[in-house]
Amino acid sequence: MTSLKQLFGGGARQFGMVFALIALVIIFQIATGGKVLTPTNAQNIINGNSYVLILAIGMVLVIIAGHIDLSVGSVAAVVGIIVALAIRDWGIPWWAGILLGLAVGAVIGAWQGFWVAYVGIPGFITTLAGMMFFRGANQYIGKSNTVPVPEEIQTLGAGYLPEWGPNTGLNNWTLLLGILAIAGVVYGELRRRRSARKLGGTPVELWVSIVRVGALGAVIAYATWLFGSGRVGTSFPVSGVILGVLVLLYGFIASRTITGRHVYAVGGNKVAAALSGVNIRRTNFFVMMNMSVLAALAGIVFIGRSTASGPFDGTNWELDAIAAVFIGGAAVSGGVGTVVGSLIGGLVMAVLNNGLQLMGVGSDSTQMIKGLVLLAAVAFDVYNKVQGRPSIVGLLMKGARRGRPEGPGSDDSNAGTGAAPVTQGETLARS
Amino acid sequence: MALDVEWTTTQDRPRADNGPLLDLRRVTKRFGAVEALTEVDLRVHAHEVVALVGDNGAGKSTLAKIVSGVIQPDSGTIEIDGEPVAIPNPAGAHVLGISTVFQDLALCENLSVAANIFLGRELRASKHSPMDIDGMELASAQILRDLTVTVPSVRTPVRELSGGQRQAVAIARTLTTRPRILVLDEPTAALSVVQTAEVLMLVERLREMGLGVVIISHNLADLRAVADRIEVLRHGRNNGSFDAGTAAPEEIIGAIAGATRPIRPAWATR
Repeated sequence: MTSLKQLFGGGARQFGMVFALIALVIIFQIATGGKVLTPTNAQNIINGNSYVLILAIGMVLVIIAGHIDLSVGSVAAVVGIIVALAIRDWGIPWWAGILLGLAVGAVIGAWQGFWVAYVGIPGFITTLAGMMFFRGANQYIGKSNTVPVPEEIQTLGAGYLPEWGPNTGLNNWTLLLGILAIAGVVYGELRRRRSARKLGGTPVELWVSIVRVGALGAVIAYATWLFGSGRVGTSFPVSGVILGVLVLLYGFIASRTITGRHVYAVGGNKVAAALSGVNIRRTNFFVMMNMSVLAALAGIVFIGRSTASGPFDGTNWELDAIAAVFIGGAAVSGGVGTVVGSLIGGLVMAVLNNGLQLMGVGSDSTQMIKGLVLLAAVAFDVYNKVQGRPSIVGLLMKGARRGRPEGPGSDDSNAGTGAAPVTQGETLARS
Repeated sequence: MALDVEWTTTQDRPRADNGPLLDLRRVTKRFGAVEALTEVDLRVHAHEVVALVGDNGAGKSTLAKIVSGVIQPDSGTIEIDGEPVAIPNPAGAHVLGISTVFQDLALCENLSVAANIFLGRELRASKHSPMDIDGMELASAQILRDLTVTVPSVRTPVRELSGGQRQAVAIARTLTTRPRILVLDEPTAALSVVQTAEVLMLVERLREMGLGVVIISHNLADLRAVADRIEVLRHGRNNGSFDAGTAAPEEIIGAIAGATRPIRPAWATR
């Protein structure tokens, strides 16, 4: 996983992961004769997978810390039924229902976090118990009935941003979001160059930055057009906006806060982290509790999309989320993984599902193909880790970067001490 | 963090009578019926590297653990700068300016060099701001430069470093708390020849910085190269103190094995 770690170390590596996803989309676009990249289908992919992607964001932190959470589907289901019933029977407003749902998620998370962090029961066992208990709780509370939810919640799960302002031919909110995203990419690249200079190294060559920003910007611009140009009344989905906010928030937590760094430290070497003064219990408690809060949110988004909460909501979601995280480059042993990687891993699964469906492949074959893709992605990483060669994404990356004079990896390797890079050859060989 | 400034103050710190930085007298430690240490003396001055040698079970690690606060002696006194102190736990040792690098380096291999150096002591601009990543990377680069250690980058994950570089990172970690006394437990065990040489140069740098260094090792050749003084322990007792520059290796080995300078015959102590 070394290469993956490096792949995600800088912005350039996430670029590679995006590239892999785009390749998959293009393959399906050709294979289906253009049915994948239509506004309606793109909106469906986001709406139909946002809840799994929300789970993947929490799951990657759990897996980085060296645990696993099998209960997320059941937690989402029990929160869904509580929210639906509270709004219907108690007559509380929709927003109070959402707050109630998140609070229930926090309580469930505290319960599981207590057993994992303070009693020391492995996360696998704790959440296996939680999976059974909360599935039962969903059916007990809802009496195995399906309970409808109000329109506002449905907007959350399947709604679109409103139309406003001048007629640009696109949905204006989508246009605005696209512009903001491109501005964010430019700002991030400038910041990275400034940081490299501050450390006494030289940033990557200017044209590399321009190509990187240009390519990402083009993708975002295309996505903006794709989502914004659907029939009037549609836009980039509301659930996609929620997902985007969460990715930014958790990406920040994972890479730039002390809490996030401690999650990586606990997953990397628990003993060393403890000796260094990292509060292991608090870190474990945080990841487990956070996961259940996000599961609660995913449950609320899902009942919005399906317009009702039912007794079998969330079945097998935990497995989808875990698959997304591992395709996104996390290590089973913990300590390795990124939020953005997991998001893209989840999107790879989503596009695979959607593309195969559009091609008319049955769900039986789809399941088989998805299973093989998961196995192949992880096996390739493990094999290359043993061989010391690039991962599948790394290989794709290498192709994308070929012809760059200083070779892959050098943009970050030189940025550090400014000391003579004695082992740089070694680093390069592994990148 | 102006670490270079701190080093200067360490070197110029006024000391009464230029006496030892660390002075252990008649330290005894028993584990049940076994007497691990019997009235052992150990002195370390600033700018001095003291090697602690002895056969397996001679009490070297026990002595190191007493200095680093992991275990407490049953009797004897510990003085730092001439002041009698107690070292109740490792945190207490840090407060007194004693840092220890244990044999298993306790590094997180998945994290970068800078992240490891500041793990558990992350810098941030204010209480509610995120980590000061640039600040930590700059400070790490500065510490490593002070140690004249070369790593590809402070952003390199530790798993990509050589054994010698890892040892350097482990030592650099301890320097963020600005210790005056550093205990190194088997720093060259399991290292290649080149890596060992790197670590020994590192120890010399630490001496130049004005630290008092206690180094535990099995490798007599390494110790003779780097240490100022070699203290031999045998069966938990001092069994000779040698000037590393002049003493013959046979003499030291004799003291370790008990062939020369026995304080008392073994039967007399029972």
